Formats: sequence, C-alpha cells, structure tokens
Amino acid sequence: MGVLEIIQSKPVLIGLHLGFAIIGIDAFLWLLWKFKDDGGSRKSSIVTASAGVAAFIASWLAGGYYYVVYYGALVKPIIKSGVAPWAHNIIMETKEHIFLFVIPLAMTVLFITLLKKEDLERLKLRRLAIWLSGAVAALGLFIGAMGFVISAAARWGAIN
Amino acid sequence: MNKPKLIISSAYAAIITIIFVAVITIWAELSVPLKDWLKSFSGHHWTSKSIFSVLLYAVAAIILYLSLQKHSDDRLKRALGFLLAFTALGTVILTLFFTGHHFQLF
Repeated sequence: MGVLEIIQSKPVLIGLHLGFAIIGIDAFLWLLWKFKDDGGSRKSSIVTASAGVAAFIASWLAGGYYYVVYYGALVKPIIKSGVAPWAHNIIMETKEHIFLFVIPLAMTVLFITLLKKEDLERLKLRRLAIWLSGAVAALGLFIGAMGFVISAAARWGAIN
Repeated sequence: MNKPKLIISSAYAAIITIIFVAVITIWAELSVPLKDWLKSFSGHHWTSKSIFSVLLYAVAAIILYLSLQKHSDDRLKRALGFLLAFTALGTVILTLFFTGHHFQLF
C-alpha cells in the first residue's frame, strides 16, 4: 500500500479531518485569548489566525473527500437502517452545511488580525474580535460534537 | 491595502455566503430538480455547494472591496455584528429545518 493510498484510507481521512479541526479550534481559542489579554505581537496573531484558517481548509478537504467518496455509500445506509436514523437526517445534514460557514467567518477574523493594535483600539473592535474568534471555535466544537454523534450512530447501527 | 475596508468587504461577503448556503440547502431539499442539478454539476450536491460558496465569498469580497467608496468606524462594527448574528441565525435555521424535515413537518 502506497503513501497516497494510506492517506486516502477511511480511518486516516477521519483522523486528518478531526485532527486539523482540533488545530483550527485551538488556534482560534488562542487568538481569542490574545485579543482578550492584548497578548503577543500583531505578527503572532496573524500567524495564529492563518494557521487556524489553513487547518480548517485541510479539515474541510479531508472530511469532504471522506464524505463524498465513502460516507454516502458505506456509512449512511448503516445509520439510516440503525437505531438512530435521525443522526444522518438531522445531525449530518446540518453538520455538512454549517461547515461551509467556517472559512468565510475565519477569513474575516484573519483580516482583523492585520490591524495594528492601536487601530484595533481606535476602531473599538476588540470586543467584536473576541466574539468572532469565539464563534469560529464554538462552531468548530459544535461540528465536532455532531461528528461524534454520527460516528456513534454508525457504530451502534452496525452492532444492532 | 485599506484594512478596515477589507474587513467590511469580507464580513458582508461572509454574510452573503451564509445566506446563500442556507437558501440553496433548504431549496434543494424541497426541490428535486435543483438537487439533481447540483449533483450533476460536480458529481455531489455538497461538493457543488462547497465550490459555489467559496467562489461567491471570494467574488463578493473582491467586488465589495473595489466598490466601497467610503466607510465609517460604525459601519465596520455594524458589519462584524451582523456577521456574528447571521452565523448564529444560519446555524439555528439549518438545524431547525433539518429537524422539521426529519419529522416531516415540511
């Protein structure tokens, strides 16, 4: 089995999807803290936000590939015929679509980090920057929790 | 580069993208021809929505950046406040829609 085949395998794709999402969530939580405490340099905030955006894009690509290639054919039928068909109909359907909100929202926060600290204060944006960074992280956590429910529904669907 | 203008443009482009995703998602669930067209565009309805949402965000942000003449500090705060509200609203609307759809309320 080649490296590309390993990367494209189901467990690795799920791991990449989740792992990159965790990096994205952590980056925006860290950024929230930087905005709150006025900590770190502008450059470090830009790097943190850029890393968060890049991680969410990587999570999107890995999760999207898994979803399109494997989920519909292999996982969805198990969930739909299992004990919790609502896990696909409600949770997965909501998850896959609200994920599309994350990148534009995260990009906007990245652009806020381009402001100099004195401009952030003058424009009175600190509070909104904290809320928006928190919103990116909260959306990521919400999507992560939904992913856990979907995985559990697939496991229990397979057992029953 | 005018950074406040860039932030305003990105915020409104993000709001437009959120509205687009919510509308096309609900519309496609209720209209088989639209969902079929989305599937035929890229092979999967979600992939098509992903492509369109990225393109819409990028194009809207560029157009808004180039077309915005003046901006005030209040306008910047308002745009970010709206973005926060629309993110929450979009999440709630899609969750409620798929819940109602599952229970065949619509």
